[in-house]
Amino acid sequence: MSVELKNLSKAFGRFAAVQDVSLPIETGELIALLGPSGSGKTTILRMIAGLEFPDAGKIFFEGQDVTFRSAYQRRAGFVFQSYALFNHLSVFENVAFGLRVLPRRSRPSKQAIVARVGELLEIVQLAGLGRRLPAQLSGGQRQRVALARALAIGPRVLLLDEPFGALDARVRKGLRQWLRAFHDQTHLTTLFVTHDQEEAFEVADRVVIIDSGVIQQSGSPAEVCANPANDFVVDFLDLKPGQTGWDG
Amino acid sequence: MAGAIAMRRVVVKGRRATAESPTVRRILIAVVTLFFGLFLVMPLVVVFHEAFKRGLSAYLSAFQDPYTQHAVYLTLLVAVIAVPLNTIFGLASAWAITKFSFPGKPLLTSLIDLPLWISPVIGGLIYVLLFGRHGWLGGWLIDHDIRILFALPGIVLATTFVTFPFVARGLIPLMQAQGSAEEEAAATLGASGWQIFRRVTIPKIKWGLLYGVILCNARAMGEFGAVSVVSGHIRGRTNTMPLQIEILYNEYQFSAAFAVATLLCALALLTLFLKFIAEWRAARQLAAGSRS
Repeated sequence: MSVELKNLSKAFGRFAAVQDVSLPIETGELIALLGPSGSGKTTILRMIAGLEFPDAGKIFFEGQDVTFRSAYQRRAGFVFQSYALFNHLSVFENVAFGLRVLPRRSRPSKQAIVARVGELLEIVQLAGLGRRLPAQLSGGQRQRVALARALAIGPRVLLLDEPFGALDARVRKGLRQWLRAFHDQTHLTTLFVTHDQEEAFEVADRVVIIDSGVIQQSGSPAEVCANPANDFVVDFLDLKPGQTGWDG
Repeated sequence: MAGAIAMRRVVVKGRRATAESPTVRRILIAVVTLFFGLFLVMPLVVVFHEAFKRGLSAYLSAFQDPYTQHAVYLTLLVAVIAVPLNTIFGLASAWAITKFSFPGKPLLTSLIDLPLWISPVIGGLIYVLLFGRHGWLGGWLIDHDIRILFALPGIVLATTFVTFPFVARGLIPLMQAQGSAEEEAAATLGASGWQIFRRVTIPKIKWGLLYGVILCNARAMGEFGAVSVVSGHIRGRTNTMPLQIEILYNEYQFSAAFAVATLLCALALLTLFLKFIAEWRAARQLAAGSRS
């Protein structure tokens, strides 16, 4: 699904978190929102999901204005930084949650839910752990439960807030490769927020660099490195003067 | 978790830096034990001793008195009305305070404690001033033949006022610590407001909620001051258990007074036991929440 942000602005009190952000996102793109902490990237993601509402500007899903639709009407797949798993529910029930809250006429049968959840746990490599509680899982496993839970509702866009932030380096690398491979298979429109440029460059097709609530530059990793738009981009990506292209 | 284990290890090996010397420790423990025995355990023992002094039949006959029976009934009726009301008020105010930010929030937060600051007698007096014969609304109420004072509505109002803070007080810290990430996750998964409340929020807070409800109930059944002001002490009509105990005692019916008192004490002990369990489960829930 295509997503378009038009002139989005959002302030918290006097702090302007996001200022006049416009960003068209094509169907099937894998985009990284890259910037230092407090740059407004998470706020942008939350506005797309409907967890935050812009003070000005509009959001379109597939050309349709969803600016004032609530989170539960938009049903964007959202993976939270702290996972936000339901601690009182098993892994199975966490993943099944989005199916169980569907209105009766569109809710799948019990067998269909079991089958679907099993399939999703297979995809995130957690088959057999359905009966565990979130507290009994490692950080990487919890992250994958959060992913499976977000995918269960068949979202048209997947939003991930610092998806690899709290994990150790090895697990992070594995999940990065998993996300890239998953996207190559499904071509689900995906945005993820990160402050780690290496992560952004390795995983994303397009990198959107944000600072102080303003988009500084948007382009493929190679483009951004070859032609940094301004001093902030040069500084943030730590590009040495005269360096051309990105060598990985 | 790791911190707690490490700390335990240190305690096993030797004294912590903040630990008192053994003498000070012993004195402190002795003082607490003495206080506990003198002010908490002994009165309880006295109540049961006095109630059963003349034997079991004398004890049971105290409950044959229709006025006493009515007092027990009225106390239960008031609690059955006031506790659910305060559960709803408490949930609503805890929700408002922890999930939204709005001007005047700190004021509202401290106002919730108001019934704890002021004497329950004042709490009762407020209703006398409002609904009494010479009160603000008194004339209107008499014209429309509505009885609030010296009747069930007044007792319920006074009890509700006095017990208002308990549920909200129990929930606010719990809900603040848990944050609203799980509710947000549920919203993105397509859950409606009611589904989020029932499937996510209630399971998260249930032990804290139960703890608040238990305390609220204990206070509702035991309230004396505020109820005393508004009830009018009409036997068989507006006397609750605590008021009935006072009347029996003043009439030198000591066995009967203490027999009724044992009911309130049993309630207190049950409350203590339930509170212990609820507190323990709430702490576990909080720990489970913070681990994710």
